Amino acid sequence: MQTRPLMKLRLETGPTLDVGAAPEGTRVTFPIGGGSFDGDRLRGKVLPGGADWTVKRADGVMELDLRVTLETEDGALVYMTFAGIRDDGAPDAPYLRTISRFETADARYAFLNRLLAVGKGVIRTEGPEHALEEVL
Amino acid sequence: MDARLLMTVQVAVVGAQKIGAVPLGGRSIGRIGGGRFEGPRLRGRVLPEGGDWTLLRSDGILELDLRLTLETDDHALIDMWSFGLRHGPPDAIAALARGEVIDPSAYYFRTAPRFRTGHAKYAFLNRLIAVASGDRRPDGPIYTIHEIL
Repeated sequence: MQTRPLMKLRLETGPTLDVGAAPEGTRVTFPIGGGSFDGDRLRGKVLPGGADWTVKRADGVMELDLRVTLETEDGALVYMTFAGIRDDGAPDAPYLRTISRFETADARYAFLNRLLAVGKGVIRTEGPEHALEEVL
Repeated sequence: MDARLLMTVQVAVVGAQKIGAVPLGGRSIGRIGGGRFEGPRLRGRVLPEGGDWTLLRSDGILELDLRLTLETDDHALIDMWSFGLRHGPPDAIAALARGEVIDPSAYYFRTAPRFRTGHAKYAFLNRLIAVASGDRRPDGPIYTIHEIL
């Protein structure tokens, strides 16, 4: 499997919405108040309004389901989602890995419509930071 | 990104149900007739249920939505599902459509499989993210799946 760096994505999370014990697990929503991203091919800011709708499963693993809108520094809007898991019981915990997809109508960034990206995340005090790599 | 081989999955596609032009694109459902999977930590057969719900978007990219069941050689059942993308130069995509075997590096065919099982021996599959490279053969795809470390 070959990958190449796509971007570093830093998310600013607001106070969580603790939905509680849902049928599928413990549901906690992390609103995204903003953030930034930068890579060789794109950089800009994360717009407020997105969130990560997480569920902690019975086996302790958290399922991640994120939707955000990115705005590049030259004005393109990109809708981004990722699905992933955060396993705080893994040997090198947390195992925070995601698969991202993108949609944009801006021709300069149409390459994003054609790729899958894999992400490796770390939790910082100011919020999570994800290193996203394009799957080649 | 660090990764290690999880397994290869060979799937036999036994015909397509061509739904046609739906609002989002061209919908076709590939029926799965069976197959095999093999890796360092698990091996067995693909059960003859499941399918690949594909959508040909207006930008020419094929979205894949695969669902199938694996049965290990020691009889654990594992749900597998994946989202993927397939696209490439027109001549490569046309050759695939004609049922030819072509070099998989000539096109982009990548998926992100997920797994679910209730079997304790294979519970590690519930806790990993993986990426697959596909090789579309005339009788069905071969996926080489790597666990993201």
